[in-house]
Amino acid sequence: MPARNNTATLPGTAGGGSRLRWPFRRLLLKGAGDGQAESGLKRAHFKEWRLPFWLLAPQLFILLLFFFIPSIRALIQAFQLTDPFGATTQWVGFQNFERLFRSGVYWSSAQVTLIFTLAQNVLTLSVALLLAFASNHILRGRGAYRTVLLLPYAIAPAIAGIMLAFLFNPRVGPVAQMLQGLGLDWDPNRNSWHALALVVMAASWKHICYNYIFLVAALMSVPQSILESAYLDGAGPVQRFLRISLPMITPTLFFLIVINFVYGLFETFAIIDATTRGGPAGATSILVYKVYQDGFVTLDLGSSAAQSVVLMALALFLTFAQFRFVERRVNYSV
Amino acid sequence: MRPFYGALAGAGALLLAGLNSAQAATEIEFWHAMSGALGERVDDLVKKFNDSQKDYVVKAIAKGNYDEVLNGTIAAYRAKRQPEIVQSNERSFLTMVNSGAIVPTAELMEQQGRPVDASKFIAPVVSYYTIGGKLQAMPFNSSTPILFYNRDHFKAAGFDKPGATWQELEPQLDAIKAKGVSKCAMVLPGDYEWSFLENYSAVNDIPYATKRNGMDGLDTSFVFNKGKLVGQVERMKRLVSSNVMQLAGQGIIPIQLFTSGECSTIIASTASHAAVVAAAKFDWSAAELPYEQGVTPRNSVIGGAALWTLKGHTPEKYKAVAAFYDFLAKTDTQVWWHQATGYVPVTTAAYEAAKAQGYYQKNPTREIAVVQLMRGTPSDNSLGFRIGNSNQINVGIMEEVSAAFLGKKPVQQALDDAVSRGNEVLRRYEQLNAGKK
Repeated sequence: MPARNNTATLPGTAGGGSRLRWPFRRLLLKGAGDGQAESGLKRAHFKEWRLPFWLLAPQLFILLLFFFIPSIRALIQAFQLTDPFGATTQWVGFQNFERLFRSGVYWSSAQVTLIFTLAQNVLTLSVALLLAFASNHILRGRGAYRTVLLLPYAIAPAIAGIMLAFLFNPRVGPVAQMLQGLGLDWDPNRNSWHALALVVMAASWKHICYNYIFLVAALMSVPQSILESAYLDGAGPVQRFLRISLPMITPTLFFLIVINFVYGLFETFAIIDATTRGGPAGATSILVYKVYQDGFVTLDLGSSAAQSVVLMALALFLTFAQFRFVERRVNYSV
Repeated sequence: MRPFYGALAGAGALLLAGLNSAQAATEIEFWHAMSGALGERVDDLVKKFNDSQKDYVVKAIAKGNYDEVLNGTIAAYRAKRQPEIVQSNERSFLTMVNSGAIVPTAELMEQQGRPVDASKFIAPVVSYYTIGGKLQAMPFNSSTPILFYNRDHFKAAGFDKPGATWQELEPQLDAIKAKGVSKCAMVLPGDYEWSFLENYSAVNDIPYATKRNGMDGLDTSFVFNKGKLVGQVERMKRLVSSNVMQLAGQGIIPIQLFTSGECSTIIASTASHAAVVAAAKFDWSAAELPYEQGVTPRNSVIGGAALWTLKGHTPEKYKAVAAFYDFLAKTDTQVWWHQATGYVPVTTAAYEAAKAQGYYQKNPTREIAVVQLMRGTPSDNSLGFRIGNSNQINVGIMEEVSAAFLGKKPVQQALDDAVSRGNEVLRRYEQLNAGKK
């Protein structure tokens, strides 16, 4: 909300994203293209093709190896029925997709994914924001606080998942017993919502630190002069945060929202595998976990490939939609 | 420069010669899925074989759980770097047979002049791994579910031992809970689809799928949404919702809840003996699987895994594989393996030998699985299961059954859904493997 107000009042909006963080700058230069004087690298900068080619080659090679080849293989496999060992392969047209969209299990997994990513996003961002705000106001031992807050990021997702699964195990977990002591009938093995809450918690806990680093850096880059003048006008810390800092860091917030969506959609399968294995009764089986389960546990390669193609399309759409419609409204600088 | 190169070449030649003499014995790789204590037993077993002769060396490599081993094997096979021997669970039987990647054990042993005598093996084990009269894989670790119980808990609740039928056992479990002996009268095992559904249908002689549970062809369909099996899932649901039966969930293995004394009973593989012996600090025992009142119980079906020989290796290597299999089938090896792990002996001779030693008098629970597997004549419903893409179907069945536990849908509907999901997978398997067995 405040973002839009500020877009109008703050000068320098048209300056192009020169102060933006990397993902935006690149996309902005490429995507916005509204005739601004961006200082991007243009074709004219290079007199011939060889140098730019060799400069790009390592990155292109990595992309080819880890992105294009697997994607193309997935695309091909999505239209096939294959024996896992590769002995028999049949072309089946859109059969894999038809089966997918007819399957109630798939739609309920999509629903779970939606709830999971939204909840995870909100929880991660709000906790990280709170922590960043708080630690920005601490003077003594700030470094120590920050180090501690960053620690979970260093823990492997599988370990984090198993640890949380154990802590919250209704039979033996200390935290679960505490919850039960408080009168909550905590049992993620039998209650879908409890299980979902558990994986949201696990996924967020792991990702809060990542959000936190970015938010701390963004908060530090809010110009002191503005904060000071607000202070002189009598604004308290909370008011300064809500009225000034928060609007000023919206590009970072937006970036984090995108990253959190990507994280929730594509990178949480290790945590889910370790915490609930998609259960109970598919209550935490998000789309990317289903891709893994169908491909690697049950060896249904065709369906797994079709699912990853759907996810790929979803990722493309999300990225496009977000940059196209949301991004322009939150970019500005002072 | 020249003398330097000469010296280098000489050193190289020496190195090669050294390597050659070290490799005089043929080395083969054996990928397995045994972890913890069982993994150590596999290492012991392989060491025994390697020490017993000089021509062959088997290298045992643990590659994770069964799914991971199979995945690793598939990746390795596609990259042409497959091991000679891979352990794969009973559920993957059709996947392996139809993979086009294996050498049937019967064929291998015949070529190597060590033909397999199928009659030496225990019937339910050998029949599971045989197609068209030919043994496809080498039986290795075979198990079957049995009922482990905490005798202290049963005594405290006023019972001698668990009842033989569900009708007797259920009130006992309720009483254990009601009298406060234990908060968890039974814990649901992770592989309950195998122990509570498949084995239930075999023991109580009811069909699970048509065509003799798939033995007669790929055009089999599931029928476990009828009659007694619905009753069985209703029973499980009642036990779960009344908190008599607990779910272990993630973060802990069900058998640990039994061995820690938390839960009074568990229906688990006889191979759990290893864990129970190592960890249970109370008076425990075991019994045969409970069955329905009025039924003459049939044999239960096996679980566990077999060893598969993969294609694409030299005759030398296959000679080593055959020698290893021969060693495995030896009575001494089998008796040792049976006693060290809790798996059943796969040959009749090994069973007789263990009996003659008086092993079962000292360890009566070790015989339960063997007796349960061999009792009576197998009926069409207790011969075994030959289901394509069984892993995939299992995931669906467990998902539906747990939806019933959660109260998301009625038991009958959950089973109907499980059947239709399973049948869909079966039809696709049939489509892919049209013309194969």
